[in-house]
Formats: sequence, C-alpha cells, structure tokens
Amino acid sequence: MAEIRLKNVSKRWHNFVGVNNFDLDIADREFLVLLGPSGCGKTTTMRMIAGLDDISEGEIWLGDRMVNNLEPKDRDISMVFQSYGLYPNMTVYENIRFPLRVRKVPKELHHEKVMQAARMVELVDFLERRPAALSGGQRQRVALGRAIVRQPAAFLMDEPLSNLDAKLRVSTRAQIKNLQHTLKVTTIYVTHDQIEAMTLADRVVVMNRGVIQQVGTPTDIYDNPANTFVASFIGSPAMNLVSGDIENGTFRGPGITIAGLQTNVKGPVTLGFRAEDASLVSEGGEFGAEVYSMELLGEATMASFRIGDQLVSIKSGKEYRAEIGDVVHAAIPASICHLFDTDTGVRIARTPGN
Amino acid sequence: MPHKAFFAFIMPSLLAMLLFIALPIVSVAVQSLYVQHERVVTEVETCAPFAGCTTETRVDAEATEKLRHAEPLGRFNGFGTYLDRNHLATAEIGAILADNAGFADIASRIYNLPFYRALAFTLTYTFVVTPLAMLLGFCIALGVNAIPPFYKGPVIFFSLLPMIVTPLVGALILYWMSSPQGILGATLQSLLNDPTLSLKSSAVLTWVTLLVYGIWHNAPFSFVVFYAGLQTVPHDTLESAMIDGANRWERIRFVVIPHLMPLATFVALVQLMDNFRVFEPIVGFSAEANATSLSWSIFNDLRGQVDQLFGSAAATSMLTIVGVVILLSPVLVRTWREFNRR
Amino acid sequence: MIVKKRRRPLPLTVLSTTFVLLWVLMAAFPFIWTVWGSFKVEQDFFSRDSWWFAIEGPRTIAQTGSAFTGDGYYGAWVLRDFFSSVVNTIIVTVSVVVISLTFGTLGGYALARSGYRYTFWLLMLALVFRAMPHITLVSGYLLPFFEMNIWGHLPTAIIVLVAINQPFTLWMLHSFFLSIPKDLDESAMVDGCSRFQAFRMVVIPVMWPGVITTGLFSFLLAYNDFAVTAMLLSQPNQTMVPKIASFLGTIQQEGNVMFAVAAVVSATAPLFVLVMFFQRQIVSGLTAGAVKG
Repeated sequence: MAEIRLKNVSKRWHNFVGVNNFDLDIADREFLVLLGPSGCGKTTTMRMIAGLDDISEGEIWLGDRMVNNLEPKDRDISMVFQSYGLYPNMTVYENIRFPLRVRKVPKELHHEKVMQAARMVELVDFLERRPAALSGGQRQRVALGRAIVRQPAAFLMDEPLSNLDAKLRVSTRAQIKNLQHTLKVTTIYVTHDQIEAMTLADRVVVMNRGVIQQVGTPTDIYDNPANTFVASFIGSPAMNLVSGDIENGTFRGPGITIAGLQTNVKGPVTLGFRAEDASLVSEGGEFGAEVYSMELLGEATMASFRIGDQLVSIKSGKEYRAEIGDVVHAAIPASICHLFDTDTGVRIARTPGN
Repeated sequence: MPHKAFFAFIMPSLLAMLLFIALPIVSVAVQSLYVQHERVVTEVETCAPFAGCTTETRVDAEATEKLRHAEPLGRFNGFGTYLDRNHLATAEIGAILADNAGFADIASRIYNLPFYRALAFTLTYTFVVTPLAMLLGFCIALGVNAIPPFYKGPVIFFSLLPMIVTPLVGALILYWMSSPQGILGATLQSLLNDPTLSLKSSAVLTWVTLLVYGIWHNAPFSFVVFYAGLQTVPHDTLESAMIDGANRWERIRFVVIPHLMPLATFVALVQLMDNFRVFEPIVGFSAEANATSLSWSIFNDLRGQVDQLFGSAAATSMLTIVGVVILLSPVLVRTWREFNRR
Repeated sequence: MIVKKRRRPLPLTVLSTTFVLLWVLMAAFPFIWTVWGSFKVEQDFFSRDSWWFAIEGPRTIAQTGSAFTGDGYYGAWVLRDFFSSVVNTIIVTVSVVVISLTFGTLGGYALARSGYRYTFWLLMLALVFRAMPHITLVSGYLLPFFEMNIWGHLPTAIIVLVAINQPFTLWMLHSFFLSIPKDLDESAMVDGCSRFQAFRMVVIPVMWPGVITTGLFSFLLAYNDFAVTAMLLSQPNQTMVPKIASFLGTIQQEGNVMFAVAAVVSATAPLFVLVMFFQRQIVSGLTAGAVKG
C-alpha cells in the first residue's frame, strides 16, 4: 500500500522523446488510468515505474523510497502484461505460486495464498493445466491471479484486456474493478480504450506524444476537455470541432452561427460541442446543412454533415429519419459549446458570469 | 537491458572471440612481417696432413636452435614475405609482363606462381560451386515439394547426408570411388573406352572432380533452406496469380522466386564464406599436384616437413583475410546503409 | 492436396520424380557403397578387374572364407589404435558443445534483449569472424601456443573450437531468443527474479528446442573439424578426423587402405544416427538462421 510520486520524469532514446516531464502524485489506493493513442508514452511511463525501462531524467518514488536505481524485483510491485507473460512450462498453480517462490515467502504459506488468489480469479478448477490448454480469458485471469497472490505496493496493468473479445472484455473489466476495490491496492492501468478508462478510473491521465494533456476524473475529462486533443480523443463519437471566427460573443463558421458566447474573445477559434448535446430541429436553429450520412445506432440515430473538411455529427432520437442529401437544421445553444484556441488547441476558459 | 547486465552476460562469449579470433588475427599480422632465421653457419677449418687446410661451412645446429629459441618470431622482414615468389611475386609478375608472348603466355606463367595458382582455384571453386549448388538445391526443393508427403521424410534424410558428413571423409569416399579401381573411375574408363583415364592425371579432370564434389556437398544446404521457404510461399498470392492467368512457370517466376530471394541472399552469403576456405577436399582427393587453395597453402606451410614456415603462412593468411573482407564487403556495406536508414 | 495433384500434368510429375530419385541416388549411393565395401578385402573394394567384385567379394571369400570380413575394422580399431582417437573425439565434442552452449545462451540472450546499437555491431563483428577461414586463425595460434607450451593438449583445442564456434552459436541462439516474448522475462523480473534468475528459471526452460538445435550444430562443427584438430593436437591426442588423415599418409604404402575405409565408415556412422534422430531439428536450425537473417 503506497502512494506513487513521479517527479518530472522523462525518457529519451537518442533524439526521440518518449515521455516528457511527467509530473504526478498518485494517491494510495487510487485507480489511475493512463490513456492515450499508441506511441503516446503511456506504456513507457508504466515500464519506468516497474523498473523495466530506465529513467532518463526525474525521480520515481514508491511510498517513501526513491526507486530510480532499484531492480524491478526490489520495487514490490506486480504487473499484468498485455500478452500476459505466463510461463508456458509451468501449470496454472505453479504460475501463480512463482512470485512467492522467488521472493522466498515461507513454503508453508504458499498453498493457502495460491488457493486464495485462484478463488478470487475463479481458476480453482484449472490449477493443473498449462497455459497452452487455457482460453484467452482464463490466461488473462492467471496473469491477474499471479499479480494478486502477494500484497504488492502497487498493481501495474498494461492493456490487460486488449487481447480479449468484446464480451469477455466487459465482464473482466468488472472483475478488475471489483478486485481493486476488495484489495485496496494502488493501481495504474494503461489503455488506449476510452471506455475502459471511463469505467475503471478514479482519475484519468490523458497523454499524447509523451506529454500529459489532462489529469482529472472521468466526468471532468468528458465535460471539460482541456484542449482539442482531449476533446477529440474522448467520447464516441468524438466532440465535433468546427473552426471559425468569433466576435462580440457570436461565432461564425461555414453554415453555422452561434450567438451568446463569451465576449472576451475575438478572431479565429475552434468551437466544440458533443453530438448528444445538440438536437435536430425542423426550422431555424444555429446550423443547417445537407445530410452526409445517417447511422442507426439502435438507441439513437446519428446524422453527420460535412462542413469544410470536418465531419459534424449530431444525435437524435431513435425515431428520427432523414435521407442523405436532405437539408436539416440543428439547435446548438451556446451553453453546450466549448471554445479552443485555433493555434494551440488550448481551451479558452469561460469568464465568470458568462 | 542496462549496459552492465549486457556485458556481464556477453563477457564469456566476447572474451573467447577476442582471445581466439581477434588476437590470432593480430598475431598473424605480426608474424607475416617476420621470416624464420637463416641457419647459423660457421666456417670450420680442417687441416689434414698432406692435404693441406680446407675451410668448410657447416650449419651450427646448436647456435641455430639457440637463436630460434631466443627470437621465436624470426627476423624482421617487413613486407618482404608478401612480395616474394611464393606470395604476390611482384618481381616475377613484372618480369612476365615485361617480356611475354601474348596473353596465353602471361596467364600460364602467372598460373605457375604458387599464390596465383591457389587463388585461381579458390576463386573458381567459390564462384562455380556456389551458384551451381544453389541451382541444384532449388531444383531438388521443387522436386521434393511435389512428391507425396509420405516419401518426403526419407528423401530429406538421404539429402542431408552429403552436407552433414565430415568434409574430409566425404571427399575420401568420393575419391576412392573415382579412383581407377573404384566404381566411378572404372565405369568412366569403360564408358570412354580409355583404360588409362584417371581423374588425377590431368589438371582439368582434377578440377572438375573437386567442383563436382563441392556441388554434391553444398547442394543439400540450399535444398533445405529453399524447401522450407517453399512451405511458406503465400497461398493467397499463388492463388490470385492462378486467377490472374499465370501458368505454372510464371507462378514460379513471379511468386515463388521473389519470395525465396531473401533466403537466396542468405544462402549465397553463407556458401561464399564456406567455399572460399575450401581445404579438406584437396587433402581428401590428394589433389595438391593439380589444384591448391589458399587455405591449403597455409596448411602446407605450417605442416612443413623440415621447418614450419610461420612467416609465409601468416602472409598467405593475411592475404586470405583481405579476400574474405572483399567478399563480404557488399553485404557489410548494404547492412550498414540499411542500419543507418532506420 | 488430391485436387492439386490431379492438376499437375503427368510428364512433369514423371520428370520431377525421376530427378528426385536421381538426386537421392547421388546423395546416398556413395555411403551405401562404402559401408558395403568396408567389409571386403582391398582387392575386392579396389578391384582392378571389375567393380562387380566389390559387390560379390570373390577374393574376400577366397582370403577369409566368408563374403564379409571385419579385418578392416580390426586393423583400424585395434592395430592402429583408432579407439583412443574416438575417446579423444568424444571428450572434445562433448566439452565443445557444453561450453559453447553455456557461453552462447548467455551471449545470445544478451544480444536479443538489449536494445542498444552496439548489439548490431557485435552481430556484424561475429559475422566477419564467422567468415574467417579456420586455418588462418590456426596459423595465428601455433607460434604463441608453442611459446606458452600449451600446444598439443585437448583443452587447448577445445577452447579454440569453442571460440571459433561462438559467432555462429551467437547468431543462431540470438534469433531463437528473439522468438521468445519479452513479456516472459519481464514478468519474471517483476515477480521477483533478478535478470539472471529470470534467464535461468523462466527463459531457458522454454528455450530447449533452440538449445538442442544449436547444440547439434556445435557438435557437427567440433566433430567435422580438420584444420584445428590436425594442427593443434599432438599425435597421442589426435581426434578421429586427423587420425584418418594420418592413416592416408602411412597406410597407402603398406597396402592397408581398408583400415582407412573402416575408419571412415566408423566416423560416419554416428552422423547417420544423428541425422536419423534429429532430422527435424537440423532442418529447423538451417532455416532459423535464414528466416531471421
């Protein structure tokens, strides 16, 4: 049980920067998710915490120990790998027992601990099998069982669900959430899947190109994205982003005019809004264009429009129907809109009272 | 993996290679600059009654031994050994070029110099055996690929034998068979109706025998690699070629061969390296009268009946190493370029 | 498969089958012939009259009373002490294989797991070393070994063969280690192993196929070597191959070629057995280098 602190951690290979100036405190028992596209440095960050990659700059603290120069085995963490890293020559039982064996835990405790872990991950019936004789979901649970068999200071999970099929992913996700709640161990979880991030995390760290974009609760990140990257990365569909000009609180873009925005900005900006916040109307509204495509999602209908080189999507009720090519209007009230700086992509904060 | 762990792991291997491969190369380079001592000669005057006194030169064995013991390397000779008659023979080449009777004369006279004789055979062997063995191996692979699966195992088993057998032993077996009293030699004699025919008697026949042996010995390697490559030819590409209307030969030409190209490069590289050091067959076939190779010349110097000619062997070794580096240079340059592009 | 065969035109099938048969004959016949002939007397195996004698062996019958004789083997093994060179060969090959694999697995593992640039240069260096003709290296050893008084002993030849073998072993094991997922040793390290423990307890147990295959090739190199063993071993320490070579020098005059034939067959027999049992590994070993390299 420990808090984890990363102080200005960087990772460089030659002239390539993998992680740049990562600075974060992770509270004890927190479930933290590192989220980002592939190559954004999230896995590297986790591997530096595990001690599998060395740190170019900065310090990593586990509890009250600075662990920069410690071997992975001395860091008291456990890790679940993307492809599980099971030992193919050992049975499930031996796989789960392995950490106890090499850490010289007294032999008489082994059986009880292994059985306890096996029960938690529902593997009691498979203990004598080898990994090759297990299904993907079972292998994944062996990896989990091996991680929880001892009480480490922290769990690290590197995209543990990415090799499972969609259905299994949902149930295993719930199992992981439950395990973490029961065991109360600080957990760092790496994923590129925003739904996993939203459902599991106490806090999410969104990363891109080695840099932290935003840290916050899932709601925070969804409702108040810090920049256009986060806005376009989180949510399905991603937030609509339209470029245009703003003057006196009125935004004008191709086919779109929205009044009542903040008055302290002037010039080119990027306007963002979520598909489900806007609504399709028959007349008037802030926006009108030809339908580019219609998608039936089951619980809703989504209409998309082409504006310049951007695709704008707007959700409507499941009964809504329109043909491709029909001209449709949409209501986009100022209250659902976010403004971003066109050059830097950074969110333009609302002035109080606006 | 951190540097420290890396070097701890690789140290034994690296040390072995540095001590017994890199250092010997240095040792060869140094040795090649020295030649063995001349015998220490003393003049002894013997006076016999009535005959008067005669001075006689004698080898002072004891002093020679002492000198050799004190300076085992021999005396410094600079690049002298490289240029002498047994190596690059610059003076002789100059003389031949200055005074000759046409191209054939130049060629035959240069061929009579030991180093060029060895070089000629080594290069011929390397560049004839390698492509022919690869071609044969490829054909066998195509053939074996087409036979029923049940027979493949035994066929591969017998095919491996010529490669796996000790080169000297393989050469001996073929040598015995091709001697006039052996089955091949005797059959050839009766086929050509020439009872005096012997593969050893003429240089050309000896060369041909050695080349045939080389192909026999090298083909299985190409066969195995190409055969394994044939198993991984992409089925989809093959089938889409069929739908596109390619006939059997076109499918081989446009799908199979391009797929095997990287393997062919690898096989060619390995076989060039191995064939360049051709040595055992010459011993096995007792062919030294008609064909020598660079490796054999070194062996011969070292095995010298009277003296071991370390300096001479070392100089040939250095020249051989230069040859190897030239042979490898296209590969090294290419890999280096590819590596830098990454 | 059946559909495919039906499509193949008959002449082509006949041609390719004949070709394969011809090749198998070419590959196997010399060995069968020599094994058969090794049980004859010299006048039959090297008959001046007809090679048919080597098959029927009339002179063998005349001289020994039976169509087969073990005289060649008796002469080689007992009279000419081939036996001691067999013992030397066993010592040399076993030691070379064991030491090569120990060094090679450690080094190959390091090369496969380190992401730094120098691994590339080390592999290239190994490739250059691999290309060095063995006899040139031998000419570098002889004088220093004489001076250090370590010439002629088995350990000297063993360590030299190990070193000569290293470049190849490193390449091969390196490519086998690359095929083992990195996750395996990393999870072992997170679970509490040091780097070496992870190597020993987790990686090596799944590496056996690669180790066996590489071991086979180390064995072949040590077993088949002539240049090193012929030059670096003293007469009583000779291994089989130089022993056979030295037979050639002396026996031919004495008219005892059959000793050499028997020795040759004796030296080839273990290789037959090896190919029979390890055919799959040899094939996979030859291709492992090719596919990765």
